[in-house]
Amino acid sequence: MGAVHFDTYVPRESVIHHWSPRLKLISLLALMFACATVQHITLVPWMLGLVALLYGLSGLPLSFLQQRLSYPGLFILAVVVLLPLTVGDTVLWQWGWLALRQEGLQATLLILGRFLAILTLGFILLGTTPFLTLLEAMRSLGLPTILADMSLLTYRYLHEIGAMLVTMQQAMRLRGFGQRRQHWLKVNGRTMLHLAMLTGNLLIRSYERSERIYKALRLRGYGYGPKSAQEESVSPQVSVLSWGLTGGALACAAALIVAEAVLRGALSQASLLGWGLMGVLLAVVIGLIIAEGVLRR
Amino acid sequence: MIDSVSTRFDSLKMAQGKRPVAIVTQSLSFSYPDQSDVLCNISLTLHESERVGLIGHNGCGKTTLFMLLCGVLTPSAGTISLFGEPVQPGQFRPEVGLLFQDPDDQLFSVSVWDDIAFGPQNMGLSAEEVVVRVAQAAEMTGVTHLLQRMPHHLSGGEKQMVAIAGLLAMTPKILLYDEPTASLDLRTRRRLIRFLQHSTETLLIASHDLEFVLEVCDRVLLIDNGGIMADGDPRQVMGNQDLMERHGLEKPHSLMPHLGIDSHSHESGG
Amino acid sequence: MHIPDGILPAQVCVAGYAMTGLATWYSLRQINRKPDPTAEIPKASLLTAAFFVASSIYIPVPPASVHLILNGLLGVVLGYFAFPAILIGLFFQALVIGHGGLTTLGVNAAMMGVPALLAYHIFQARHSFSKVVMEPARTALFAFLGGALGLGIAALIFLTLVILNISADINANTERGLILVLSAAHIPLMMVEGVFTAMLVLFLQRVKPELLES
Repeated sequence: MGAVHFDTYVPRESVIHHWSPRLKLISLLALMFACATVQHITLVPWMLGLVALLYGLSGLPLSFLQQRLSYPGLFILAVVVLLPLTVGDTVLWQWGWLALRQEGLQATLLILGRFLAILTLGFILLGTTPFLTLLEAMRSLGLPTILADMSLLTYRYLHEIGAMLVTMQQAMRLRGFGQRRQHWLKVNGRTMLHLAMLTGNLLIRSYERSERIYKALRLRGYGYGPKSAQEESVSPQVSVLSWGLTGGALACAAALIVAEAVLRGALSQASLLGWGLMGVLLAVVIGLIIAEGVLRR
Repeated sequence: MIDSVSTRFDSLKMAQGKRPVAIVTQSLSFSYPDQSDVLCNISLTLHESERVGLIGHNGCGKTTLFMLLCGVLTPSAGTISLFGEPVQPGQFRPEVGLLFQDPDDQLFSVSVWDDIAFGPQNMGLSAEEVVVRVAQAAEMTGVTHLLQRMPHHLSGGEKQMVAIAGLLAMTPKILLYDEPTASLDLRTRRRLIRFLQHSTETLLIASHDLEFVLEVCDRVLLIDNGGIMADGDPRQVMGNQDLMERHGLEKPHSLMPHLGIDSHSHESGG
Repeated sequence: MHIPDGILPAQVCVAGYAMTGLATWYSLRQINRKPDPTAEIPKASLLTAAFFVASSIYIPVPPASVHLILNGLLGVVLGYFAFPAILIGLFFQALVIGHGGLTTLGVNAAMMGVPALLAYHIFQARHSFSKVVMEPARTALFAFLGGALGLGIAALIFLTLVILNISADINANTERGLILVLSAAHIPLMMVEGVFTAMLVLFLQRVKPELLES
C-alpha cells in the first residue's frame, strides 16, 4: 500500500488540541458544511482566512498540510484545468483556439476555495485528535455500537492486513508475475485471474484471522450481553476555553451561511421550504440513530 | 531423483578448489526511512553450491538482506551481483528463489499443481515444459500425491514443501530460505534437513534454529548491528559462547561439552 | 471513485447524510435480526480492512490501469454488513489516504453502499433460478451481474451528481449529453468489474464457501 500515514495525529500543545473532542467535532463539521454552502466568490477569502486562523491556532506544521494536500490535489486538477477553458461565454483571454472564460474561471476558484477550506478543516480535526479519542467522541454523540466496534477492529488490523498484501504481491512478483509483455488497451485474462485469486486469498486469510480474534475476544467476555454501567464513565469537565472556541466556531459558521443567503438575494419561499425540509429530515435521521444508540445501552 | 533439475555443476572447477562465484556484495548498505543503517557496509562472497547459514537476533537485518538480494528493495549504497550480473531492483531473476517464512504468503492457487506451475508459466515456458517441470519439482519435494489438492487445506509442513516445489520448478541456482523450520513439526523438519543436505543449489538460510544450521550449513555468517560479526565454520562460530552471547544468541546445545558425543557429526552436509 | 469536497453544494451533502443515515439504520436493523450479531462483527471488520487494502490492487491496461471499486463484491460477501463496511472504509480513506471527503461522506457512502446492497440481493436471487441455469455458470452469472451493476449504478450516480453541480453555467442539454457519453465510457469498466467479481466468487466458492453470505 505504499506509505500509509495512519494515525494522522500530530501531538502538540495548542488550544485546538485541548478543545473538547465532542465539541471540536461538532464545530469543525458545522464549519465544513458552512463552507460547502458558499456559492459567492466574494466569501472565499473570508472562508480561507478563517481556516488559516484556525490552522495557526492548532500549531500544526505547514509541512503536514502541504504533504496531505498533494494527493487530493491531483483529483481536483482535472476540474481546475478543464472548467476555465470550457464553461461560460465571457472570454477573458485568447491564445489561438484556447479561450480562457470568466465563468469557468470563477467556478474553478469557487471549487478550489471550498476544497482547500474543507480539506484543511478536516486535517485540523484529524491532526489534533487521536483516532481513538475521535471514535469515543462519536460514540458519545450516538454512534451505534456496531459501527464503533467495527471501526476499532478495522483500525487495529488494517496495518497487518496491508502488510499481508504487500508480502503476497512480492511473492508473486518474485515468481515472475507481471513480466509478460502486455498489449495496449487489452485486459490480460490470466493476469486478471491471478489478481482475483490474490484478492480472494487476502479475504480468506483475513476471515480466518477474524475467527481466531473472535474466539480470543469471547474468552475475555465479548458479546455476552449489554456492557456494564462502567462504560458510562464520568466525562471530564469541559473547559471554558472549549466552550469559547465552540461558540466562536459556530458563530462563524452561521455567519457564513447567513452571508451566503443574503448575497443570494432575499430568501425565497421555495428555498426556505427546501432548507426546512432538509433540516427536519436530518433531525429525524439523527434522532433515530441516537435513539438506537441509547436503546442499545 | 536428485540431479534431474539442477545447476550446471562444474566438477572440475570444484576439484581445483575454484568454484564460480554466486553472490557478491560490495559495501552494501540499507536504511529504512525511519530506521537508519539496518545494514551497513556488508561485503560478502558466496561461491556456487555453498550452504551458508545466516544467524542473528530478531531484527538484525536477515530478511532485509534477502529482499536486497532479490531486488525487491533498492540498496542505499553498494552493489550486489549474482553470477556476475548486477542486480537491478524490480527485475525478474528466476535464478534466485526466496522461500518466505509464512507459506501462506506464497501459495495462492486453487490447486497445488497450478501453484507450482505459476513460476514456469511466468517464465514463458511451453505447456509441455511446464508439465515436466512441475512433475520434477513435485517429485524432488515429495508432494506428488498432493498435486490435485487445494493448498489451503494442507498442513504447515506440506505447504512448506509445496512452496519449495514452486521455487524449484523455476530451476533457480540460488535459494534463499527465510526461517524454514519456524512452523514445522519435528518429522517434517527432519525431512527438510535431509532434503537440503542433498540439494546442489547455492543456499543461504536465515534461521533461529541453530541446530538446524549446524546440520545443513558448511559456513555461517553472524549478523548484528547491521554488519557481519563473524564468518566461518559453523562449529567454530557457534561454538564460541562468548561471541554468541555478545550478539544476543546462545551456543547450541549439541556443541556444549558436557553433552559428550556429538551425535550429528556423521549427518552434517558437505 | 468518490466525490471530493468542494464540488457539491451543502444541500446535496446534507441529503447524502440523510440517505446514509437511513440506509445505516436499515442495515443495522437487519443485522440485529440475526441470531448472533456480535459474532459477525470481527468477520465484517477484518473483511472491511481487507477490502480497503484490496482497493489498491489494480488491473494493468496499458498505458493505464483500472482500479476496482468492488462494491458489488462487498455486497455479495458481507450482505447487510456491506453498508457499514463501506461507510467505515470511506471514513478511513479520509484518514489514511487523506482524500478529505468528510462533508461528502454521506453522499459517497450512499452512492456506493446502496448498489452494494442491491448486488447482495441480486446474488441471492440466484437460488430462484436453480432450475433454469446450472452451476457453476449460475453463480458466475449472478456474481457478474452483481459486480457490474454495483459499479454501474454507482458510476451513474457519481456522474449525475458531479456534472449537475459543478457549475451553474452549463446548459441542461450539455449536461445530459455529458452524462450519457461518460456513462457509456463506463461500460467496459463494468465488464471488467463484473468478470473480476465472477472470478473471485467462483474462487471463494471452491476454496472457502462459508465466506459467501447465504
